[in-house]
Amino acid sequence: MEENSSNGVEEQESANKEAAYVPVLNPSIPSGEQTVWADVSSLLDSARNDLRDGELIHGENFNLFAAMSALEIMDPKMDSGIVCRYYSVDEAIEDGAAPIPLSLNKTVDVHCIIDVMDHLLSCEATWHKGHSLAQTIFSCIYLLRPERTPSHALLHSYCTVIRSTCNAIISAVSDARTHEEEDLFTITSGLPLKKDGDEKCLSLLNVIEETVSRQLHACKAPSHKKRAIEDIEPLQTNLDLEEGYCKAVLCRLRFRKHFYHVLVCLRRPQGRGLDLARKHIASCLVELQSILKTAEFLRSNSRYGMCEDGMEDSMTASGCQPIGFDSTLNSRLSAPTPPRAIKILSWKKAVEYFQKLLHDLEAICSHPLDPSFEGVLRFVVEFQKLQPDLVARSHLQLLLVQDGKLYGRDPIFDVICKAAAVPEITKIHDIQKNESFVHLGQLVITLLKILCTNAAWQRRQLGKVLQDWRIIHMQLELALRKEFEESSSTSIDENLCMKIYKHVLNWVEEQTYWIAFRFLILGFELELYSPSEYCMVYWYLYVVLIKLGEKMHFRMITSTETGKRKGKKKKESVKDVARDQSIPPAVLLLQCHIYLAEGLTLMIAALRNEHGSFQCQGPFNTEQERFIQHFELLQRASIPDHISYYSFRDYTTHAQFDSLVMCNYFKEAQRIAKELRSSFSNDANKLAELRHIEQVAEHNGIALNLVSQLGSLDPSLKVSFEFNHHPHFATAVVKRS
Amino acid sequence: MENAMQAPDQTSIGDNKSKISHVKKLLFRRMLVGVNDGRFFMGAFYCMDKQGNIILQDAVEYRSTRRSSPSPMEQRGLGLILIPSSCRTSCHVDCSIDEQLSLLSLQVQK
Repeated sequence: MEENSSNGVEEQESANKEAAYVPVLNPSIPSGEQTVWADVSSLLDSARNDLRDGELIHGENFNLFAAMSALEIMDPKMDSGIVCRYYSVDEAIEDGAAPIPLSLNKTVDVHCIIDVMDHLLSCEATWHKGHSLAQTIFSCIYLLRPERTPSHALLHSYCTVIRSTCNAIISAVSDARTHEEEDLFTITSGLPLKKDGDEKCLSLLNVIEETVSRQLHACKAPSHKKRAIEDIEPLQTNLDLEEGYCKAVLCRLRFRKHFYHVLVCLRRPQGRGLDLARKHIASCLVELQSILKTAEFLRSNSRYGMCEDGMEDSMTASGCQPIGFDSTLNSRLSAPTPPRAIKILSWKKAVEYFQKLLHDLEAICSHPLDPSFEGVLRFVVEFQKLQPDLVARSHLQLLLVQDGKLYGRDPIFDVICKAAAVPEITKIHDIQKNESFVHLGQLVITLLKILCTNAAWQRRQLGKVLQDWRIIHMQLELALRKEFEESSSTSIDENLCMKIYKHVLNWVEEQTYWIAFRFLILGFELELYSPSEYCMVYWYLYVVLIKLGEKMHFRMITSTETGKRKGKKKKESVKDVARDQSIPPAVLLLQCHIYLAEGLTLMIAALRNEHGSFQCQGPFNTEQERFIQHFELLQRASIPDHISYYSFRDYTTHAQFDSLVMCNYFKEAQRIAKELRSSFSNDANKLAELRHIEQVAEHNGIALNLVSQLGSLDPSLKVSFEFNHHPHFATAVVKRS
Repeated sequence: MENAMQAPDQTSIGDNKSKISHVKKLLFRRMLVGVNDGRFFMGAFYCMDKQGNIILQDAVEYRSTRRSSPSPMEQRGLGLILIPSSCRTSCHVDCSIDEQLSLLSLQVQK
């Protein structure tokens, strides 16, 4: 027996050359009281031989299905505790994995610290993209043991500002509370994220920046001046390289300083810090450019680094591997199962990421804090076209909604009244305590938050809140009816109260249809519709847009009426009268969209009826089932009322090419879009939209003519739909197959 | 022949059935399994197959903080785990001294 066990130990040693002596038993794991650990391995081995293939030794109540869910040890996908190189962070440090200083040779020390800074930037960008802190930034051993760094000023100040920056971003994303991305982003458990003294990160940075600045100045001074400045110790010992290294260090320090300032300024309440944030953003971008320029110098001195990656997508500017990083040391801090494998962004991609982030943040800072709700919606929709990432979107949301107020300064009730063109009276404030109005305020705030999330999450949430908006409309309607029934006198107060309710009711409907519209078009952005479904989508878009146009028009008419009443004392000029009688440009723009949607619906319907293409057939479900699946949330909220699959079918069943009506839709859209150019001459975004509408209308008109004239004669003509002119209105492309 | 088959397990020598039934007696007992990267897993013995893969229930992972012993151990709970025989380096069961003696005698007899 003893022979066996000693053989066993030897076998282990030879089998596992990597590991040092592996003890068979560890005295730290005690057996029970008055019990011992008995070796059963040979018993198990001999029992194995007696088993049949597929036979298991198990007890009663054994559940094979449950057994399948067991974590497999030593499988990298299931076992997060596999020992790679080091058993613990402390062992790694004792082994010299993260030396302080990084080298006794000052040149190597500086070069390696720059590599650490660069790799941390790559880790940070990877984290922002949606991975966990533990696997990215905190794969840095220097950050895992912050008490070690104070002796090295440059390293310490950099680590401190990294921690402070991370905290600022985590607090912003947590406060925005969108929970849209995986929660990995904000999980900080077990990580040394907050240290005493972190609040002084800027002063630490200033000190070290000052020192390196003087070192740079000293090395550039002509030799006769050097005597006076000789008492300044250089950054590193190779005089030829001093300027290059000083510059490389300085721009990195300055970038971090300005970036931290950006984050602090953005969080100042009521958007007070936006202008200052813009200045810091500009400085950040300048420093990033400088950082990029230092890459050549660092690459040419890569001999001072650890060892070269040899990779195109290196995670440092110099192409060297950084000292002091090990992503496996943290894997046990997460759940029993290991986190999914991630790839840290390359350094170049990380710099690009930060450049984009800064540009997105700048777009936020440029927002003039438009108090009109319509303006806010417009801004958010435009901003989302930049496809901003989580950090930028969180900051936008925090700017828009603070303390239940728009920009932290305009009470939501006031915003709603202004948006709904409610006539101003001093006694309005009693109404806002009404339960329904309070609820409406909450819905508006929720809507703003939803609009700041990513497209997929946004669409899901928009679909869900449709019912809430429907319900609030019903509640407000009931409240209005109650007021009307209860009021016996026709006092001015009651009249105005009713007017308020009516305006608000209309506005609520308008917003509901706007939400439905956005829900539908996000489906195009997310590529959720197949071409065979375009017909029903455009049809639904058409019915929703008609309602939206109605509500919008009503609001604008009643608001000009109110305005007229106010300005009764002023003389009405001819121009004013003319403008009053015409349709507002915003409604006309919507009309263009309506025409495009109508035209596309009928064109595709005609293609189905006459050419048999774009049929919604499939082995799994019928067209009606697909209709229900796509529009379930809208149907459930009765948006619009009395609309069903059969309405769609009736509308499209008899669509044919020889009907001129179809052609006119595109012509009309084109004509109106041209006329609207003058109305929106100041608005670049609107002008672009009009251009796109014209292009879609023109191309579709041409395609329609082509198909209607030649389609039946030439069966080789095939029509497909592309989104090359407009993100959600398709253009028909006719080709010979 | 029948008598021999019905004889109690302790007295039968080299009987195929008894090896498996001895192992069956170990089911749900505290088992300590060592793996080749130096970690230990302690849990209730739940299942074993012909390849020698072992499943432990309510398992706890023990890991030394230094490669060289002695050193403090870290532990964490993992639940139901499967330890492939290929990485298993040791296997012990918590038992009384009497039991350990009988287990020893069992293994000598093969």
